[in-house]
Amino acid sequence: MNTGIQKRKKIDTTLKVLLALFVFTVPLWVTSPTTLQILIFLFLYAYLTTTWNLVGGFAGVLPLGHSAYVGIGAYASTVLFISYGVSPWIGMWVGGLIAAIVGIIIGIPTLKLRGAYFALSTMAFGEGVRVLVENTMQLGPFNINGPRGICVPLIPGNNIAAFQFLSKVPYYYIILIMLCVVLFITWYISRIRPGYYLAAGGEEPEAAQSLGVNVAKYKVWAMGLSCFLTALGGTFLAQLALYFYPKQILGLDFSFELAFIALIGGRGTIAGPVVGALILRPVSELTRIYLSAVLPGLHLVIFGLVLILVMLYQPKGLVGPLEKLYNWFLDKVSGTEKEVRT
Amino acid sequence: MDIIIQALINGLLTGSYYGLAALGLTIIFGVIKVINFAHGSLLMVGMFAAYWMVRLTGWHPYAALIVVVPLLFLFGYALQGILIKPILEGQRDVREPTEVIIVTTGVWYILDNLALMIFGAEYRVVQTSITGQIFMLGDYIFPKAQLYGLITTAVTAGLVLWFLKYTKTGMSIRAASLDRDAASLMGINQYRVYNIAFGIGAMIAGIVGCVLIPFYYVFPTVGVIFDVKCFIIVVLGGLGSIPGALAGGVIVGLIESTFSQYMTSTWTELIVYVVFLAVLFIRPAGLFGEKRDW
Repeated sequence: MNTGIQKRKKIDTTLKVLLALFVFTVPLWVTSPTTLQILIFLFLYAYLTTTWNLVGGFAGVLPLGHSAYVGIGAYASTVLFISYGVSPWIGMWVGGLIAAIVGIIIGIPTLKLRGAYFALSTMAFGEGVRVLVENTMQLGPFNINGPRGICVPLIPGNNIAAFQFLSKVPYYYIILIMLCVVLFITWYISRIRPGYYLAAGGEEPEAAQSLGVNVAKYKVWAMGLSCFLTALGGTFLAQLALYFYPKQILGLDFSFELAFIALIGGRGTIAGPVVGALILRPVSELTRIYLSAVLPGLHLVIFGLVLILVMLYQPKGLVGPLEKLYNWFLDKVSGTEKEVRT
Repeated sequence: MDIIIQALINGLLTGSYYGLAALGLTIIFGVIKVINFAHGSLLMVGMFAAYWMVRLTGWHPYAALIVVVPLLFLFGYALQGILIKPILEGQRDVREPTEVIIVTTGVWYILDNLALMIFGAEYRVVQTSITGQIFMLGDYIFPKAQLYGLITTAVTAGLVLWFLKYTKTGMSIRAASLDRDAASLMGINQYRVYNIAFGIGAMIAGIVGCVLIPFYYVFPTVGVIFDVKCFIIVVLGGLGSIPGALAGGVIVGLIESTFSQYMTSTWTELIVYVVFLAVLFIRPAGLFGEKRDW
């Protein structure tokens, strides 16, 4: 009996180590830049949805304007680079700080409101930021170029200080490490006291408050942290694409996509956003590549259907059934029974 | 001065159909406590239905109401009954299940992109008997199509208020919106009431579709423009409040028309967002909202 459990643990660890090895060695044997680019975007979405999940999942509210913070990160680091030659590596922290301050200012009044009000006000805020940027050519000393967007000036060759590389491999490792860091932060928060307060406040705000938890305070902190980390992702996106414009990086569609990836994967769980990105990104990429020429819009019809089906049959997200499947597999291989494991 | 008064008139006329569009949304929220993210798409469906009616039969756009209104009512009734009811049943103790927001967004994506696949992305206009006609009152211009829109808004709002106040179904809707458990104990079939409320909301979106046809473009993503506007209007007026939706619509219409006299019209959009956020900071319940709803 005991040997079964030990064996199970061993297989579990081995599989996880193999997965980590696999993910970290991908660029050694994948040479196609296109494949790498798809993987980089997949990790970027996983990163952004994980940061969204800090407030959208654990705090139990539904922010629908997170593209605003991606945009703040991208614009901050890029205008600093253009105007003063500040390295994006420094600019990204400036963007993060601005995003955190903005997020806290927006969060203080709105996080006290009920779900629907919060969702609508974050959405209106995100759209407001987009309209503001689209109508502004010059913001103080910075040229933000209105609706046409900004190009990040090209620096020839690989330039670590300028956050620009010819090959996709450095981008791959940067975003992979960023993803690991936010996953670690999420894991860490979920097992310290403020994390428990946050989860309690997200699920039963009245009950948590009656036990003396200052729910609003923890939600505001979560919002600040989430916005900060989201903006760092924005800088990465800017350096990867080297061109961005308000409708794309500050658009409603982008905000919605981030929220829905997390919700389909499983909000409030650590692996949920990654699972969501892993499933939805390839679906939307492939349908867009192969079907949009035949039937424009079909990929979004499929996306909509997936959303509805998941919400009707797995409202807690896909991470639950996948975890069950994985456990079933482990039990099968190691020969342990459910009763023994408990 | 003349220009200002004309701008106020235009704002009132525009605001009235904004208010009508928001009315459907606020009724649904008031009863079921869910935000229908597919509201703009229902409006788009209504517009396309009205467009094809006028295009194929050459009828007056308001005659299309005979077909569009029952069609959209049934559509909304079925949408609530098939997709939203299972979620509400599964989450009885949750007051505002976010799953509904996601499901209705799924409906939004599906409807908008089906329209794109079937009708293509082009902007369509239809020449109706009232398109481009104006009515003069002194020196001031009232486009006829929009004036009819204002009257339609007033009539629709009046009918809805009468229906909610004096009919038996209306009373059960109000009872369910006050306290769903108590209403169920009184023998009201909660989910039937929800279906009807959703049907009425969708029906009003259909009415807006007919109102818009004579002077507005029809295209698959037309709903998105109204979606965001309606969200702002209902929160401004107070979620669930019928007078709030109408007042919010007029406020947004007036902001757009008067400020566009002094600045480029893209900036007026920003002013709407700023006013919206300011209201949220100062009075989160909105102008006519009740405290229990936020």
